[in-house]
Amino acid sequence: MGKDVAANLQNLGDFYNPNVLINLGPSHPAMHGTLRVMCRVNGETIEDATCEIGYLHRGIEKLGEEKTYHQWIVYTDRLNYCSALNNNIAYCMAVENLMQIAVTERCMWVRMMLMELARITDHIICVAINALDMGAMTVFWLLYQWREEAYTMIESICGMRLTTSASRIGGMSHDLPDDFIPRMKKYVEEFPKALEEIEGLLTGNRIWIDRTRGVGVLSREEALRFSVTGPCLRASGVDVDLRRDRPYYFYNDVKFDVAIGSNGDVYDRYLIRIEEMRQSARIIKQCMDKLPNGPIWVEDRRVRIPEKADVYSKMEVMIHHFKFFMEGIDVPKGEAYTCVEGPNGELGFYIVSRGGPKAWRMRVKSPSFMLFQSFEHCIKGDKIPDAVAALGSVNIIAGELDR
Amino acid sequence: MSKDGSAFVFPALLQEVVKWARKSSLWPMPFGTSCCGIEMMSTLSSTYDLSRFGAEVVRFSPRQADMLIVAGTITTKMGPVLRTIYDQMLEPKWVIAMGACSSSGGIFDTYSVLQGIDEIMPVDVYVPGCPPIPEGLIHSIIHLQKIIDGDMQRRPAEKPTHEDAMNAMNYRKNVDISEIQSSYVVTKDGVAPNAFTKRS
Amino acid sequence: MGNSFVKDAEFLKRQQDANTRLQEKYLVLPLGEGRKLELDKLDEPIFWAKSADDAVMLVKSFKVDPNFKIDFLSDITAYDNTDKKDGPKRFVLVYQLYSTTTQVRIRIKTLIDLNEEANTLVGEWDGANWLEREIFDLYGIKFKGHPNLRRIMMDERFTGHPLRKEYPMKQREPFSDNVRLHLGAHSLPGQK
Repeated sequence: MGKDVAANLQNLGDFYNPNVLINLGPSHPAMHGTLRVMCRVNGETIEDATCEIGYLHRGIEKLGEEKTYHQWIVYTDRLNYCSALNNNIAYCMAVENLMQIAVTERCMWVRMMLMELARITDHIICVAINALDMGAMTVFWLLYQWREEAYTMIESICGMRLTTSASRIGGMSHDLPDDFIPRMKKYVEEFPKALEEIEGLLTGNRIWIDRTRGVGVLSREEALRFSVTGPCLRASGVDVDLRRDRPYYFYNDVKFDVAIGSNGDVYDRYLIRIEEMRQSARIIKQCMDKLPNGPIWVEDRRVRIPEKADVYSKMEVMIHHFKFFMEGIDVPKGEAYTCVEGPNGELGFYIVSRGGPKAWRMRVKSPSFMLFQSFEHCIKGDKIPDAVAALGSVNIIAGELDR
Repeated sequence: MSKDGSAFVFPALLQEVVKWARKSSLWPMPFGTSCCGIEMMSTLSSTYDLSRFGAEVVRFSPRQADMLIVAGTITTKMGPVLRTIYDQMLEPKWVIAMGACSSSGGIFDTYSVLQGIDEIMPVDVYVPGCPPIPEGLIHSIIHLQKIIDGDMQRRPAEKPTHEDAMNAMNYRKNVDISEIQSSYVVTKDGVAPNAFTKRS
Repeated sequence: MGNSFVKDAEFLKRQQDANTRLQEKYLVLPLGEGRKLELDKLDEPIFWAKSADDAVMLVKSFKVDPNFKIDFLSDITAYDNTDKKDGPKRFVLVYQLYSTTTQVRIRIKTLIDLNEEANTLVGEWDGANWLEREIFDLYGIKFKGHPNLRRIMMDERFTGHPLRKEYPMKQREPFSDNVRLHLGAHSLPGQK
């Protein structure tokens, strides 16, 4: 009898073993791309976590040194592929700042509108996938419908749904088609109603609140220490929004609110994203009202890609076009760091140029990199399903993380 | 079929029935790494419903799936992971290489990207596009269904040999330049010379 | 001539004050010997430090300086200086600092040689951990005092530092047990 009791106690000792390692990823059902989280668990509580990245490292920064400035626009789509327009525009803004070119007014308003549309699509994916990971599939189906409508509009501008490459240095690849503005008006009228529907499903939902309140908490000091930006920083209570603090284009002239959270948990991040989608719809409405007619290309000989009709008929224009695409544009020596408020945080392009058609160093400061670093800290003490919920809320885009 | 619909007899070869069952209930294992993964999610969602073709049950466990959709860039760090997943799947299994990156490396011809997953596994259907639109992926599933039916030629499963794997991960191929017709040649140093210089 | 940012008079004044303060306090001899202040294309200050240790010391002093109120580390990066246009050494290490309250940006650059080690910023900002690991992985610059200096983007067994200018773009590196995973039970030449 004594021997059995002793044996049982020894077996139970195996249960309380805090050194079990569980590996989430790199291929995991949470559809977030290729990341890996090694957790040291005790029962189901995560005591320690380490993240490993690099499973999607494609050498985009080294390609920036090999390709010309125009050729690299294609690679910017693949950084944060959920909001490709934002990356394109931020990159073209960076090169234009380096060359000290100010684009036309119409181009600025169009770019603002498209950046906000990209923000809406990115937040749709984040909220939808977050809900899907926690079992709320209906939200996924409902929100994806709106993403498809946004895709159709984006396709009407540049021909591609996801990887758009819509902006060029000095302008846009195509101007807005005629049916874009009516469609967009309809979109921003009806989208907030869909958001009401989603909020009705999730915000007051007992299960959602239980699963997301107090989960993945990142305090204010930790968020600043980890250099977190974007909705996650605002959820932790820090009032930073680059559109309002250091405005670019006409963000000074549009009215919008910035949502700040208090707890820094998954629930706050979800609420902030919903609110940001509403505010983006508001910004788009104001952009459409203020959109001026006019040229979308700046008439600067260094960057202006000529119109196709002229290319096919005039000799000098054809040579100009040829030199653009065979040799590249000539960017003067210098460097600049341009950052925009992307959907995920501060997306920055640090371009060092030694003159010539190719960059000397093309650095992408991606928000997901810092977010994932804080992730391994914020899931300590939570359980494994909480880690999945927190991963969805932090919105790691692997393309941006690993570049 | 009797008049009241109670009896239900289909005379057919067992093989045909098995083929019909297999092609109409392909359970995909989505291996989405990057942008193509988002388009795959769009295909699986309600507008371009993939479950119309039987591929509704998306199983994230390779042991329960029979079709592997590799959507996105596969890097050299991810290669062994993908191969392990492929090995864990049970026969019969099919592989769809979705997008340019998994078919041939795509726009990323760099130091860390596999130039196509056929460097490490046999592929049945390649879907071009960057990313392919959802109709493209659906077209590839229909194509796969025709392959399973036997209407189209199935690509023979050429298992990569040891030499292939050693050459695949290392771009320094020992090629004989005079045999190559194209002007874009990668030399032993791994760096392509200018296309207009003479080849020695 | 212009850029995409709104020309806000108040912000420009704040940035100008920061530049002046940089000149007055940090360029003054004797400590300012070897340092330089330049402006980039967006009129943001680029502060060249004397050495890598000096750069970290400057970062720490900017953090406590009440005029700057730097509380945010935007980025740490590096680039290759093989054509020696920025100085005699091999790499340039770049620190991007930001203040969330005054929106002032300061960039600190320093030259660092091939086998020289820089000091780590992990004590000040936890976010510097992965940024320095990335620089180590892609350039080979080591950081003294870093708790976990391993490769982050590439495989652990990768040799070579890809973002250096002499690393060929397309050179991949095979690993023997990757290959074994692919093929099953083949033994490779030279392997037991």
